[in-house]
Amino acid sequence: MRGRPNLYTDYQKESSIFSNNTQKSWFGILVTLSVAFCFLASDYWILLLTTSFLIAIAGWGLNIVSGLAGQINLAHGVFIGVGAYASAVIGGVATSSVIGFELDMIFWLPLAGVAAAIVGLIIAPITVKLKGLNLALVTLALVFIGSHLFSNFKSVTGGAGLGRKVATLKLFGVNLERGIEIGTLYLQKNQILYLVCLLTCIFAGLGVKNLVRSKAGRAYSAIRDGDIAAEALGINIFRHKASAFALSSFYGGISGALFFTVSGGVEPGTFSLLYSITFVAIVVIGGAGTVLGPLFGALFYTLFPALIQFFLHIFEIGESSLPLNLGQLERLLFGLFIILFLIFEPRGLWGIWFRLRNYFKAWPFSY
Amino acid sequence: MIIFLQATVEGLSLAAIYSLVAIGFVLIYKAMEVLSFAQPALAVVGAGIISSLAVDRGIPFWLALFLGVILTGILGLLIERTFLRPMVGEPVFSVAVLTIGIDILLRTVLDSWIGINPKYMGDPFPTFGNFGAVNIGGVNIKYLELAALITAIILIIILSIFFRKSKYGIAMRATSYDQEAAMAQGINVGRIFGLVWMIAGILAAFAGFFITGGFNTLSQFSFISALRALPAVVIGGLDSIPGAVVGSVIIGLTQGYVAYYQLTFESFVGFSFGNGFSVVAPYIIMFVILIFKPDGLFGTEEVERV
Repeated sequence: MRGRPNLYTDYQKESSIFSNNTQKSWFGILVTLSVAFCFLASDYWILLLTTSFLIAIAGWGLNIVSGLAGQINLAHGVFIGVGAYASAVIGGVATSSVIGFELDMIFWLPLAGVAAAIVGLIIAPITVKLKGLNLALVTLALVFIGSHLFSNFKSVTGGAGLGRKVATLKLFGVNLERGIEIGTLYLQKNQILYLVCLLTCIFAGLGVKNLVRSKAGRAYSAIRDGDIAAEALGINIFRHKASAFALSSFYGGISGALFFTVSGGVEPGTFSLLYSITFVAIVVIGGAGTVLGPLFGALFYTLFPALIQFFLHIFEIGESSLPLNLGQLERLLFGLFIILFLIFEPRGLWGIWFRLRNYFKAWPFSY
Repeated sequence: MIIFLQATVEGLSLAAIYSLVAIGFVLIYKAMEVLSFAQPALAVVGAGIISSLAVDRGIPFWLALFLGVILTGILGLLIERTFLRPMVGEPVFSVAVLTIGIDILLRTVLDSWIGINPKYMGDPFPTFGNFGAVNIGGVNIKYLELAALITAIILIIILSIFFRKSKYGIAMRATSYDQEAAMAQGINVGRIFGLVWMIAGILAAFAGFFITGGFNTLSQFSFISALRALPAVVIGGLDSIPGAVVGSVIIGLTQGYVAYYQLTFESFVGFSFGNGFSVVAPYIIMFVILIFKPDGLFGTEEVERV
């Protein structure tokens, strides 16, 4: 069977993370390119890609609970916020108004995820009992309760409108704020962050891919497709729904911790309803329930403003001649894309990619 | 005692506003099993149309109100025809997210029109009107609150007569009971869907006016008030119109009492709930009620088969 990599002779091979050599080599190429990107591209593009990696991690988190386990969650932004504040408290600098412990990154990054996961577990008894639209509404309530708490716990969050500084970038005792020199290689802060985010993103992505093919992942899909039937098959609904929520929050927390470290400060007003909904939209646009979908969605979301500016530039439309400003135009088109994708391509960008891939795979045949 | 009455009156007028939006939610849910997150956006868009007609264009208030309400209804109809119609039969989650998309669309356009300065609504009676208030035994009742209460009651009565007596009202009830059976009886279900969205739009426009009227003004954050009808719907049960009204009363009164008694209560308990707690309290109540009754107080329990 050595010369025929596409022929699967056992289930284990078919369900492995990279089931054939093509996928393996593409993964290798992409990782190499992404690492190389950090030394070649300008600061603007590095920041853009860093952001999309982090949004992809958060998107994967939401995808676990909404796409995979079928539990609608409109409060993903709150878990991201919990992660951001947990990291800010553990890794941040204490001032007269806010607390902070200035710990190392190996502490604050996992702990941010754990803190968010714990919050996810605390509300699990309520969310597990509900399903469908009622669950959506309860998570909507969470958004408001969350942002109320964020703006009122002043010793942690700095209060509404003020915000606070986030965690310091310190890894294994080495302060990375001013960049580091390894031999002849000099890495700036944004390059370090890029590499850290890339690494986290790769691990997060592999984690999701691994989850999908594991027992828990199959249980999640079973719950999504019919929870009563799943229960009849002996799947512990409570445990799996709660663990899906916790896992999703963990991803959200990690993403939140890094996201606001990249942007430098965090303000409670960020975690509004629209912020949470953005992630739902990213998952929907990317393709809910798929592994690559959230990555596509995240790239689309971050490259979207650049794309609009590009088109405005091509058609020589000045910003002043538009009835809306750029931010509003982005929001408008974003809303429109949600609607259009749901109507015309419910599988999202992943669906488009899937069809393209199959077309070229079978080329020159059409099937 | 006066404070209690004051809080009650304000709570009830809020309840009236919420019940208008909430009934819209329930109507759409009953007819199509769709939860429309676009409802708050429709409310503020209605307010925006009224304001632009009455204040910017100088059209007499009553005509502006009438036009605004009708136009919002037509907007609801258009949304159903263009965006919701292709989604019939899709999973509820997809449709709910789609209405979020509509919400973003509508509010972005509205926000760009509002800009930074909040907009005023027109004034029905320029001599006393929106900004005035009447004092009954020490209780200060704004005319706007009174108007909201009366309008809501009248609209609810009209609606209940409509559902009982009129041809389309009965057709709507039949549709919500069983779409296919209704179709077999010759009811144009598609038209019913459109009509439901239109009624929801009209109710939303009224609510929008009362939310933003007088000193409240229409700003980019007005929709959050309309969104508070959602906990009301959930408390009452997604598919029950009386439930929507009861839920609205619970939410409205909670908000009213918390606004007035929070300080007293905080000094009694010894810690602060924070600024703007009255706005969050409805959501907490919804949380608590859902723990005990997942289908709301009046909602029909869902029977599921594998």
